[in-house]
Amino acid sequence: MSLSKEQQTELTRVAVFAGQILHQHGAESRLIEQTTQRIGLALGADNVELSISPDAIVITSLVNGHCVTTTRRCHDRGINMQMVCDVQRICVMVEKQLLDAKEVKKRLQRLKPFKHNRWLVVLMIGFSCASFSHFFGGDRAAYWVTFVAASLAMILRQELAHRQHNPFVNFAAAAFVATIITSVGVIFEAGENPQIAMAASVLLLVPGFPLINAVSDMLKGHINMGIARWVFSTLLAISVSIGIVAAMTLIGVSGWTN
Amino acid sequence: MNEFLNLFILFITDAWFAWIPAVGFAMVFNVPRKMLIFCAAGGALTHSFRFLLLHFGIPIEWATFIASANMGFLGLYWSRKHLIPRPVFTVASVIPMIPGSYAFTAMIGLVEINTSGYSLELMQIVMENGLRTLFILTALSFGLAIPSILIYRGRPIV
Repeated sequence: MSLSKEQQTELTRVAVFAGQILHQHGAESRLIEQTTQRIGLALGADNVELSISPDAIVITSLVNGHCVTTTRRCHDRGINMQMVCDVQRICVMVEKQLLDAKEVKKRLQRLKPFKHNRWLVVLMIGFSCASFSHFFGGDRAAYWVTFVAASLAMILRQELAHRQHNPFVNFAAAAFVATIITSVGVIFEAGENPQIAMAASVLLLVPGFPLINAVSDMLKGHINMGIARWVFSTLLAISVSIGIVAAMTLIGVSGWTN
Repeated sequence: MNEFLNLFILFITDAWFAWIPAVGFAMVFNVPRKMLIFCAAGGALTHSFRFLLLHFGIPIEWATFIASANMGFLGLYWSRKHLIPRPVFTVASVIPMIPGSYAFTAMIGLVEINTSGYSLELMQIVMENGLRTLFILTALSFGLAIPSILIYRGRPIV
């Protein structure tokens, strides 16, 4: 099978598009690399090499000794596992020779990020943080205070994310709101140990996915991606703690370091 | 016998409270609806398994490592069965074990060292919580990566 120059360019574009989607929706680097290479090879390239950096990917395809290189910027579009699943499914179908380049491109362009119903997410996150308060040994009062605080913080987080605010501002604001509400619980002495609610209600802001991705990227040899993700999640945690400290200073309650 | 029953009740309660955060965070990560049930099962299994290990006196880092390695193998099985990348199940399932509270305590300690000056107690809080976060988190991710590190070694899983 010999590909023309145009076909090779098209193949490279399709492969880099798949990689870009994976990168934007929070896949780990190994998955981005493998999926992009597999799509490129299945569409007929002799070799596909790519370099992943935190905000862009560069890909080179090799066909009959000719190289085509292209770069795509990857802006973070939020973690979305459904997009990752769909790209993976397309990759498997290409490998089984069920799709050609044109069809793959059409399918990739048709993908739309699926979002769960936002009020359902708010409810579940409220109960999640309330469950954490149970793990920390809180009683029923702490459970419900955490539920209210975490739900309101989640609503704020969704609203700010919807308006494309900076994630650091967003997380600090959400932590501020959650801590204000739980501090009121501490002032009115809700239950045996209201400080537990303060600790549990901000756990919806833990950047868990980037942290796990950071360590597994570094384990699998993508050190620079791992460091970038690690620094990003550390900065998020710092902005959350600034929001918490601001709220505690404002209300005059201390719940963490004593 | 009574002791065993008590432990069993604690184990079941732990599993019950662990599936909720797993599903909640899976929804934040937009895991497809059909896969949420797997995240719930994984979250409940891993967290309650870690609870058992902690109960028998295993240090929290090792308990986390063993529990998440189990989740890694379970995720391997599910991902090959449903042709879906592993992080879709595994990351949401281990979210209940993430040391978020330790991480925030360490960061708040840093902020307070800045405002109220250096003291040995604050520094102790920062170091202990920070190191615990680091080690638990590394154990968690390393455990999840065990199947692809030991068995697949660079080959694609799906």
